[in-house]
Amino acid sequence: MMRVVLIALLVAGLLTAPAAAQPAYPTRPVEIIVGYAPGGGADVAARLLAAYAAKKWGQSVNVVNMPGASGITGALRALNAKPDGYTLLLEPHATASMLFAVESDVPFKMDGKTPIGLITLDPVIYTVKADSPWKTLKDVATAAKADPKAFRYGIAGVSGVAAFSVSQFLFSAGVPLAETNKVVFTGGAPALTALAGGHTDFAGQQWSESAGLVAGGKIRGLAVVNPTRLPGLPDIPTAKEAGFPDLDVVGWQGLAGPPKLPAPIVAKWSALIEEASKDPAFLEQAQKVSKVIAYKGPDAYWQFQQDELGKYLPLATKMGIRK
Amino acid sequence: METLGFLLNGFGQALTPQNLAFALMGSVLGTLVGVLPGIGPTSGIAILLPLTSFLPPTPAIIMLAAIYYGAMYGGSTTAILVNIPGEVASVVTTLDGHQMARQGRAGPALAIAAIASFVAGTLGLVGLTFFAPPLADVALAIGPPEYFGLVVLSFSVVVSLSGPSLVKGLTAAALGALVAVVGLDPMSGERRLTFGTTTLLGGVDFIAVIIGLFAITEVLLGVEARTGAISLAPVGRLLPRAEELRACVGTMLRATGVGFGLGLLPGCTPGAISFIAYDVERRVSRTPERFGRGAIEGVAAPEGANNATTSAGFVPLLALGLPATPALAVLLSGLMIYGLQPGPLLFEKQPQFVWTVIASMYVGNVMLLVLNLPLVGLWARLCRVPYAVMAPLILIFSVLGAFSVRNSFADVGMALAFGALGYGMAKLGYPTAPLVLALILTPMLESALRQSLSMAHGSALIFLSRPVALVLLAAGVALTLWTLIARRRR
Repeated sequence: MMRVVLIALLVAGLLTAPAAAQPAYPTRPVEIIVGYAPGGGADVAARLLAAYAAKKWGQSVNVVNMPGASGITGALRALNAKPDGYTLLLEPHATASMLFAVESDVPFKMDGKTPIGLITLDPVIYTVKADSPWKTLKDVATAAKADPKAFRYGIAGVSGVAAFSVSQFLFSAGVPLAETNKVVFTGGAPALTALAGGHTDFAGQQWSESAGLVAGGKIRGLAVVNPTRLPGLPDIPTAKEAGFPDLDVVGWQGLAGPPKLPAPIVAKWSALIEEASKDPAFLEQAQKVSKVIAYKGPDAYWQFQQDELGKYLPLATKMGIRK
Repeated sequence: METLGFLLNGFGQALTPQNLAFALMGSVLGTLVGVLPGIGPTSGIAILLPLTSFLPPTPAIIMLAAIYYGAMYGGSTTAILVNIPGEVASVVTTLDGHQMARQGRAGPALAIAAIASFVAGTLGLVGLTFFAPPLADVALAIGPPEYFGLVVLSFSVVVSLSGPSLVKGLTAAALGALVAVVGLDPMSGERRLTFGTTTLLGGVDFIAVIIGLFAITEVLLGVEARTGAISLAPVGRLLPRAEELRACVGTMLRATGVGFGLGLLPGCTPGAISFIAYDVERRVSRTPERFGRGAIEGVAAPEGANNATTSAGFVPLLALGLPATPALAVLLSGLMIYGLQPGPLLFEKQPQFVWTVIASMYVGNVMLLVLNLPLVGLWARLCRVPYAVMAPLILIFSVLGAFSVRNSFADVGMALAFGALGYGMAKLGYPTAPLVLALILTPMLESALRQSLSMAHGSALIFLSRPVALVLLAAGVALTLWTLIARRRR
C-alpha cells in the first residue's frame, strides 16, 4: 500500500515537474463516483462538472452511479480506490457532514478523504401546498404551535437536508417537535409530491428538487434560506425577510478524492472548479438545473465541512436522531 | 380541438429526417439495452446524456425517450427465449413466454409481445395526449394510505400464483419479503440483516436476484436434464393463429387499462404492474389452468401493460416534473439541462417541443414494431441452438449483467447464490413467482404503511378516514378470500 502511494507520488511529481513541456494529468478517462441514482441533486452536479472538465482537458470524465445505503456505498468505493486521481467522489452534504451528525458508526472516517473543493449550493425552500391557507412562515409557526398533533411534514431521508431544515425551523418557532407528525420519504420528489397532493402540510427541500412544482403552481414557496432572493423566484422572501434570520440549513455538493491524493491533482481540480465558478456559460447552465455555484478551495472546503458538522451535531442530538 | 392541432404540428416536426433518425437510433439502442439483463434504460440514458450537449433539445430528448420505451420491447425477448427477464417488468413474461418457447412457439410469443406492446403503448400515448394535465392531478391525490391499499390488493396475486401448494407459495413469498428487508431501514437508516458487512448495506439487488432465480436456475436444471436445446420442436409459425390474435384483443385492452392507470402513480413499479395485469387476465379467463403452461394471453397481458406504463410514466414527468422511475429521472435532468422546466407550464410555454416529442413517441412505437417483427424468425431459431452452446453463453451474460448493475462483484455472488436457491426451490416444488412478487412489493408495503401511520401520529384509524384507501384495502381482503375459496373448490 505504502509503495503504491510512494510510486503514485513520484509519478505525480514527475508529471508536474516540467509543467509546460509534458502532457499532464489526466492522461486517461477519469471517473467521478456518485453514490446516488441518476437524476438526483448529486448526480446533476457531477454531470455539470464532468462535462466542463471534459471539454477543458480534452479527456473523458465519466460519471459512475453507485446508489445504495444513502450514498455510503458509492463513498466507500471511491474512498478506497487508488489515490491516482482517476477515481473521485462527488459528495453531497449528506455523506460529507450530516451523516456524521446522525450516525456514530459510519464505515469510513470523516477525515478519511482528500477534500478538493465545494462546487454547488442548493438552498432550502420552505414550501406548502398551493392552496394552503398559510401565506408566510409565521402563519405556519402559529398553526403548528396551536395544534402540533395535526401538523404533518414530509422529509426526504432521516439525515438529509430536510431533516434539519424543517426541525430547525420548528425549534426556532417554539413548536414541540415530538408532538408533530414527521413522514419520511425516500427522496425529494416523493416528499414534494405528497405535499402537492395534500398528504402533508409542509416541506423544506432543496431548490433543485422544488423548482419544478413551484413553477408549475402546485406548491408555493414561503421562504428561501439564502442571503438574497433566488433568480427566477423573485416573489419568495429570504428567511431573514420572513422573520427567521437564524435559519441556515443549506444543501451542497463538493468533490473529494481518496486519502493521500497528490497535491498537484487536487490543485488542478480546484483551479478548474474555481474557473467554472466564474464562467458565465457554466453559471447559466447551473441555474437552469437550479444549482447555485459557490466555490471553496480544498482547505476552505474542509473547514466548511467541519463547521457544518459543528452546526448539525448539536441539532441532531437535540432532535434525538443521533444514534 | 386545439390538442389535435398541436399534435399534428408535432407530427410534422417528428417526421423530419433528422428526428426520425434519432428516434430510430433510440429505438434500436433501447431494444438492445432491454435485451441485455443488468443494463437497463436508466444506465442507457445516463450514459448517452452527455451527448445531448452536442445536440439541440428536440432530437436529443426524442432519442432518450425512445431508449426508455424501446427497452420495454427488448426486455421480453430474452424472457421468452432463455427465461432471463431483460427488465424487471418482463419477469412475468417468463411464466408463459418461456413455456411457449419450449413448445416450439417462440415465434408467436415474440410476435404477440411486440404487437401487444405496440397496441398498448400507442393507446397509452393517446391517454397522454388528451388527458395529461387532469391525470396528473389524479396522481397527486394518491397518497401513502392509498398506496398501502393498492399494495395489499397486489399481494392477493401471491395467492393465485402459488400453484398447487398454498403453503409453499406463501413460504416463497415470506422468503422474498425477508430478502427485501435486508439493507438499511428506509426511514431510520438502521442496518437490517447486514451481518456487519458493507456489501449488504445497499440491500440485495433485485436484478441480481432475478438473474439468479431465472437464468442461472434454468441453466442448472437444463444441464441436469441433459436438454438438447431449449426447444427441440421445429420452428413453426412465426405469428400467432388468427383466433389467438382475436382472443388477445380483449387482453390487450385490459392490459392497457391496468398498465396506464397504475403507471400514472409515481412509485408503482412496472414490475408490480405487470404481475397485476397477468393476474387480471387469469381471473377473467374461462380457462385459467392454461396460464403458466404457455397461454398466449399470459404474454400479451404483461407486455402490453408495461408499455402502457411507460407511456403513462410521461404524464407525471411532463405535467408535474415528477419522474416515476429512475430512468425518467435521468430524462428529467436531461430536460433541465436544456432549461426546459417540466410542469404544466411546459405545455404552455414550449408546446412545439412537447408535442414533437409526443408525436415522435407514436412514430417510435411503429418503428419498434417494424423492427421487432421481422427479427422474430431470427430469435426463434436461437431456441434450436444446441444447449451446449447456449448454456455457457447464458451464464456469461448472467455474470456480466449482474456485475454491471452496480459495478460490483458482490452482485455476481448474489446472483449465483440465488441460482442455487432457485435450483433447490425447483427441486422441492416451491414456486419462484411469489418470491419475486414479494420482493417487489415488500419495500412499497413497508414505506406506505409507515408513512401512513406517521401521518396520523401512529393511529391506524387513518385508513378508515380515507375512502379510496379503505375501498382498496377491503377489495384486497375480499379478493384474497375469494381466491382462497376458489382454490378449495378445485
